[in-house]
Amino acid sequence: MSRIIRIVVLVVLGLVWLVPTYLLVVNAAKDPTTFTTKQSWIPTDFHLFQNIGDALTLSGLGNSILSTAIYSIVSPAIAVVVGAAAGFAIVALKLRRGFLWFVVIFGGTVFPLQMILLPLFDGYSRVGLYDTRIGMVIVYTAISIPFSAFVMRNFFTGVAASVFEAAVLDGATTWRIFTRMYLPIASSALVAIFILQATFVWNDLLLGLTLTQSDDIRPIVTTLSGMQSTYGGAQMSTVLAAAVLVSLPTVILFLCTQKFFAKGLALGQY
Amino acid sequence: MTTRTATTYQWSARGFVAPGVILVAVLLYLPLLWTVYLSFTHYDGLGDPQWVGLDNYVEMFTDPGFVGSALNTLLWVVGTLIVPVGVGLAIALLTWNLGGGIWLRLPFLIPYALSGIGVGVIWSFILSSGGALDQALAAIGVTDPPRWLIDAPLNTVVMIIAAAWQGVGVNALLFTIGLQSIPKEPLEAARIDGANGLRLFGSILWPMLRPLTAVVVGLSIVASLKTFDIVWSMTKGGPGTVSETLALTMYKDTFVNSDYGLGSAIAVFLTIVTLVASIIYLRQQLSPKNEI
Repeated sequence: MSRIIRIVVLVVLGLVWLVPTYLLVVNAAKDPTTFTTKQSWIPTDFHLFQNIGDALTLSGLGNSILSTAIYSIVSPAIAVVVGAAAGFAIVALKLRRGFLWFVVIFGGTVFPLQMILLPLFDGYSRVGLYDTRIGMVIVYTAISIPFSAFVMRNFFTGVAASVFEAAVLDGATTWRIFTRMYLPIASSALVAIFILQATFVWNDLLLGLTLTQSDDIRPIVTTLSGMQSTYGGAQMSTVLAAAVLVSLPTVILFLCTQKFFAKGLALGQY
Repeated sequence: MTTRTATTYQWSARGFVAPGVILVAVLLYLPLLWTVYLSFTHYDGLGDPQWVGLDNYVEMFTDPGFVGSALNTLLWVVGTLIVPVGVGLAIALLTWNLGGGIWLRLPFLIPYALSGIGVGVIWSFILSSGGALDQALAAIGVTDPPRWLIDAPLNTVVMIIAAAWQGVGVNALLFTIGLQSIPKEPLEAARIDGANGLRLFGSILWPMLRPLTAVVVGLSIVASLKTFDIVWSMTKGGPGTVSETLALTMYKDTFVNSDYGLGSAIAVFLTIVTLVASIIYLRQQLSPKNEI
């Protein structure tokens, strides 16, 4: 097919694809007092920042953002190190029956979340972790570990065994070899896993819905879902502004790191 | 070289692997086993679970609501295969070897990073009665538009379109990477032999893309089986239960109706279907026939 036709097809299709985003931004920027659901296509005013400000105080979205930032930074950060430690044990330290332990850890991602929701809810309620930040950090960490271990095991397989041998001859302890040599070599892989998992945690609905109830603990997407049901009628432009606010960090992160995403996705994360 | 035996660092190795194993065991495997057990019991969160054998499974398969939910889930699987995978491949092929491909793909990539709820908020707004879509239709003379989110199975179809809007970009990205990794020599040879367009695609590109396609298709099936967020946001499975998916039915039976046994049975069923789908695509992907 000729170049021109391809470009025309892509541009037309691309414009169609941008329509929902256009409608989101245009309507999120409308003044709630004059907002009407009957006139969605034409921009009227630019009230976006005021609407975002309003959204922050609605349903405690502001507190929710703080909690979600903690979850999506702390959990993936712990998970990449724990996953790297497992990969280090299996590959560099030649853990006996290492492949079996790898399968045990990786197997944690193959079933749907539905399989663990109720017992987590039940268990969390019993031990006092229900509706707590620490409880959310723990569960998001556990869920991020299998993928992290999977990537790090593959990564460390590519590190020559002589690196480890040389360090041992220098008298380094395994802890020192792990923290001073293996983690630094793996920094690009660690960052890739971190970005993928942070996005996953930021966009999570189901665990937030199941394991939290108060405004300042609830993750942001769960809060947005609640806002949609509660204020979707009267304050639609505020809800749309909240959707813009919730989406911005992951959209920017994704567009800046496309290649990492694609690699991670090809490895089985979706 | 030193002669390091496999026993030298065993204690240290156990220490390094332990945090991961313990966290995964306690937070993922223990709950999983508990769900399997609960699926054979009657339990509402109060008192103790009562063993009832296969009662929940019998109830599940004879419940018209469950059957409808399973059919909707099947519709999701088929729909997300045709639209996002097909259009994703088309976009990858169209932008392949085209200057500025990155920019032309951008509009398709933006929706991917949105959360399911973000997508749901946008599309609920567009599809609401008298909303953006109805206004556009009125402008071209359609005054009596369908009730997008109310009539079944139309509501499931429009939600699949919303999901497709979100999912196309990432498939295009994966296929693009696949195309870029195809070696140049056979392509040049085929071009010199006069192959282009459909013949080039059929004889060279498609065979080379097949293993990657298996992965994309597999990921797509597994993800669509678990469809929850978009439906939760746009219809909550309603009106009634007509647009529920299995993941939603499980959630409602468990956390709305407090029928923990039945909810667990649905979770087990969903898990088995997901595992079978994963195994099929993994085998397809690993089978030597595909090593072309």
